[in-house]
Amino acid sequence: MQTFAIEALSWPQQGAELRNQVRAIVAEHLHPSSPALLTNCWSVADPAFSRILGSAGLLGMSWPKAYGGHERTTLERYIVLEELLAAGAPVGAHWIADRQTGTLLLRHGHEEERQRWVPGMARGEVYACIGLSEPNAGSDLAAVRTTARRDGAGWVIDGQKVWTTNAHNAHVMIALFRSVEGSERNTGLSQFVIPMDAPGVTVRPIYDLTGGHDFNEVFFDGVRLPETALLGVEGDGWNQATAELSLERSGPERYLSCHTLLTQLIRLAGPSPDAAVKALIGQLVSETWTLRLMSASVAAQISKGIDPALEATIVKDLGNSFEQAMPGLIQALVEADLASEEALPIMLGHLLQVSPSFSLRGGTREILKGIIARGLGLR
Amino acid sequence: MNDQQLMLTEMANGVFSGLGPTASLEEHWAQIEELALPSLLLPEEAGGFGGSWQDALIVFRLAGYHALSLPVPEAIIAARLALGTDLEGRGTLASRTDGRLENGRFSGTLFGAVASAGASFIAAPAPEGGTILIATSEGQRTSAENLAGEGRDVWTFSDTAVFSLQDDVLMLGAFARVAQIAGLLDAALGLSVTYVNDRKQFGRPLAKFQAVQQSLATFAGEAAATNCAAMGLAQALDRGQAEFEVAAAKLRANRAVGIGTSAAHQAHGAIGFTQDYGLHPLTRRLWSARSEFGGDSYWANQLGGRVAAAGADSFWADLTALTD
Repeated sequence: MQTFAIEALSWPQQGAELRNQVRAIVAEHLHPSSPALLTNCWSVADPAFSRILGSAGLLGMSWPKAYGGHERTTLERYIVLEELLAAGAPVGAHWIADRQTGTLLLRHGHEEERQRWVPGMARGEVYACIGLSEPNAGSDLAAVRTTARRDGAGWVIDGQKVWTTNAHNAHVMIALFRSVEGSERNTGLSQFVIPMDAPGVTVRPIYDLTGGHDFNEVFFDGVRLPETALLGVEGDGWNQATAELSLERSGPERYLSCHTLLTQLIRLAGPSPDAAVKALIGQLVSETWTLRLMSASVAAQISKGIDPALEATIVKDLGNSFEQAMPGLIQALVEADLASEEALPIMLGHLLQVSPSFSLRGGTREILKGIIARGLGLR
Repeated sequence: MNDQQLMLTEMANGVFSGLGPTASLEEHWAQIEELALPSLLLPEEAGGFGGSWQDALIVFRLAGYHALSLPVPEAIIAARLALGTDLEGRGTLASRTDGRLENGRFSGTLFGAVASAGASFIAAPAPEGGTILIATSEGQRTSAENLAGEGRDVWTFSDTAVFSLQDDVLMLGAFARVAQIAGLLDAALGLSVTYVNDRKQFGRPLAKFQAVQQSLATFAGEAAATNCAAMGLAQALDRGQAEFEVAAAKLRANRAVGIGTSAAHQAHGAIGFTQDYGLHPLTRRLWSARSEFGGDSYWANQLGGRVAAAGADSFWADLTALTD
């Protein structure tokens, strides 16, 4: 039994050059006001930094030039992503647009919608969010109730999304709505493109346990959308939304959220730490090395047109477990005064608090393991 | 996979599945010799396959998958190390050395010599780094076995001539174990999945219980991670530099052994704990392989020490430079 198609990865020839370009941008522009901002950095929004990446040609890298993209390979894009995350760069504003919304618009969107949104995404000026969860549809996504009703040539949307990351920064949302009245479960669902400034769209913040603002409630009250807002095929929303998850689940952000904490541990440890510190660094580095191979291997498969849904799920589950465990392992190893102003305790304290979300966002651990179990033939 | 690798897979699968955990050197080694498998890594001009370490990964992994009791990976690696010497016949590997090397002569003890009864030479870590190759004709063997009943003998030598090499036999032995662990885990996972689908309790197959599903899903992740680590290490060996990767890969594989064996036995219940059932040839090899050619602590300290010595600012740059 082999559940993971193992790739003999070939990394791009120009990889080192691309890395140097990203490292130079990071060195020039990354000046966080707190070390906490270097952790879980794909939740840290900085539109100015996003625009810098856009003008450097580092967003929408694999999209067609006609839409502002750069027609680079999936693995070249992967290199840019992992460099930004490893450095702790504030990539939250554009992350979702660059990772999946732009790609999805290019794959399924009406030409007018592509022209309207994608070039701005590639410039780092247009940001996106994903409307999936609802108050009574969390892990049970097929329970969504927000409706899209045909009205003449267009659509009218009523209902509510919740836990919508980045909605307060976003210009556009791709959401899953029930477009067939009376339909049940995963039938009768369609994806739509919603401008966040459309009349009837209201965004309200939900503050997390640290007081941070990452996710939101989004209300739709008679929101009118043109015909072009339907994304892809009506009624095929479930398949489209789940196909998107391979993009969402296997990226380097699924194991690098605590990477800067590991780097800080190595810094504090100095050149010849005691055996326990060496051993923990060794363990964490071993996991990092392996997860990098796994995650890049999925990227390589996606670039060949394969949908490695099971592999992507395994990468997210393993990656989240690793990054979630790391703060606790480091806390157990070092005597950290969490009230101090030193970098390591600040980063550690922040990650201890936000890391529970790592195995919730983008599909809970239980849902992922259920998908893997189905892949094994147990369900 | 290229055509040669597909052929190699088919051949190794066919032969190893027939031999399995009960094959013996006396009765079955001739089959391995007939296929010329020990010359897998020798260049074609030396009469070998001209195989790469990624080719070796295929064979070593399948040796694990079928719980093969013959020392095929060790013979392949030993033959490669002995290229250019006058050593002939079946070679094998030892994992630890206690002794001294002076003027090309070794006195001391080798431990963990794999299935070494009848072997003509042994490749072992040299006392000060590198590898020694030593003919068994002048040594004294004391039998010892690992948990799976496989020979892991102790040899003593006194003032015996050796060949000294720069190669790191500990690294190559660790690669063999990582690849075997990958195969062993996949086999134990397959056995567990089949079992929980067949076995009914409370009126339904065990596979329908979420607790069982989640445990085997976790196991699948560990098996996947080990397979990826094995591939990453094989690629590094083919590039010619693998000090970092061997530590990272063996450590990752070792961790997977703990989680995988525990999940496999829990899924099987009491039947998996019996001598008659086919799980223990896999799990007893897995527990042994975790300690062979470097346990968790050894490789974690190697890797952690290396990363700490290079410093925080080099960590990510060094990691990515491995593949750029």
